[in-house]
Amino acid sequence: MNEHVTEWLGVYLDNELRGPQLHRVEDHLAECSTCRLELDELQNLSQMLAESASAERFTPTERFVSNLALRINASSLNPAERPGGKTRIRATEMAWWLIPAGLLVAWFFVQTYLTVSTWVSTAVTAGAFGSLAGVLQGGSSHSVWFTAVLILFGNGLPGHAGPFLNALDDISIFGSQITAQLVLRVGIGLLYWAWLAAWWRRRRQSTSKSEGFNLLPHT
Amino acid sequence: MINGLKLFLEEGTTLLATLSTDAESDLVILAQHGDRNAFGELVRRHYPKTVQVVFRFCGDPVLAEDATQEAFLRAWLNLASFQVDSSLRNWVYRIAINAAVDFLRHRPEVSIQDEIAVAEADGTPGPEMILIAKERTAAIQQAIKSLPEAARSVLVLREYGDLSYREISEILDIPFGTVMSRLNYARTRLRQLLEGYLVRPESMNE
Repeated sequence: MNEHVTEWLGVYLDNELRGPQLHRVEDHLAECSTCRLELDELQNLSQMLAESASAERFTPTERFVSNLALRINASSLNPAERPGGKTRIRATEMAWWLIPAGLLVAWFFVQTYLTVSTWVSTAVTAGAFGSLAGVLQGGSSHSVWFTAVLILFGNGLPGHAGPFLNALDDISIFGSQITAQLVLRVGIGLLYWAWLAAWWRRRRQSTSKSEGFNLLPHT
Repeated sequence: MINGLKLFLEEGTTLLATLSTDAESDLVILAQHGDRNAFGELVRRHYPKTVQVVFRFCGDPVLAEDATQEAFLRAWLNLASFQVDSSLRNWVYRIAINAAVDFLRHRPEVSIQDEIAVAEADGTPGPEMILIAKERTAAIQQAIKSLPEAARSVLVLREYGDLSYREISEILDIPFGTVMSRLNYARTRLRQLLEGYLVRPESMNE
């Protein structure tokens, strides 16, 4: 008869034996009653341990959950506020504040652009550019300042500045109309208010979420 | 435009509905984003088994509940660092066992005799069989408690937590072979301690 497999019986009972070792134990058990007896005893022990498990009466689950909720509310911390969650939260928080900042920059740009545009056109009307005035006012397909820039710098502009100025010129023609100015300002204003409303709503939601850990079963 | 908005809102609702299914990983994700109801559901699922395992480990029901509560509290606070694809149950077991170890080190010994007294005083006086069963339960608990901490934790995770050797080795941070040897030791010791209570199978001769 082979050597007894006593030390492997627990592992065998727990279904953790694999491959050749499993076959070795199975083959041995088939012919060794001592080891079979040992296995039965181990099984009895596991059964006895399992049966004694239900004896203790613990706090019912729902009450335990309520008690835990009280402690969690007292600590008033969310996982997102813990160190691990900080980077992710910081990123979304930053994106959240980039919207109004972007809108303010856009507002500032439009405002500056329109003001400069008005100054140049007033100056031209007042004859500030002398003989150039007629040319400046005559260019119907270009805005006033664009013509002024062309005349002042001529071909001395760097190559890549041309398309950029052209694009600005197109916006300028659009922006010179009063209605277009209004649309721009009102548009930016509306977007800003929409963001403010969304921010307020989000704030309210997060406050109400942290107020309660109500224990309705999750559906 | 309005139709588009409606569609967008409907899609959002569908996404929320998908997220609020019973899948544990979804609940974990919701809880990681601060959803306390989702965490409540996770606690509901894992509390009964966890408290059993911890009770078997420390032998004191009050301490077991305290350690379990502490474990869930710590789990909530550290949820952001939890990997969604790993087992929350095993993670909670790990924290709970550690909490119980901490508690045991800072608390005076609980006498097993008190537990028997409680068991006798509680409920109506039953037949002798019930008393024997209670005594046996107390004896089992005493035997488990007498095991060294290292062997005890492996034993309770296997017998009451139904964990595989691999899971136990991960939870306790010990090699696979050590799980086997500690379990062997714990079982051998328990069989010696509980000899009188174990029903011996009929002896067979070779």
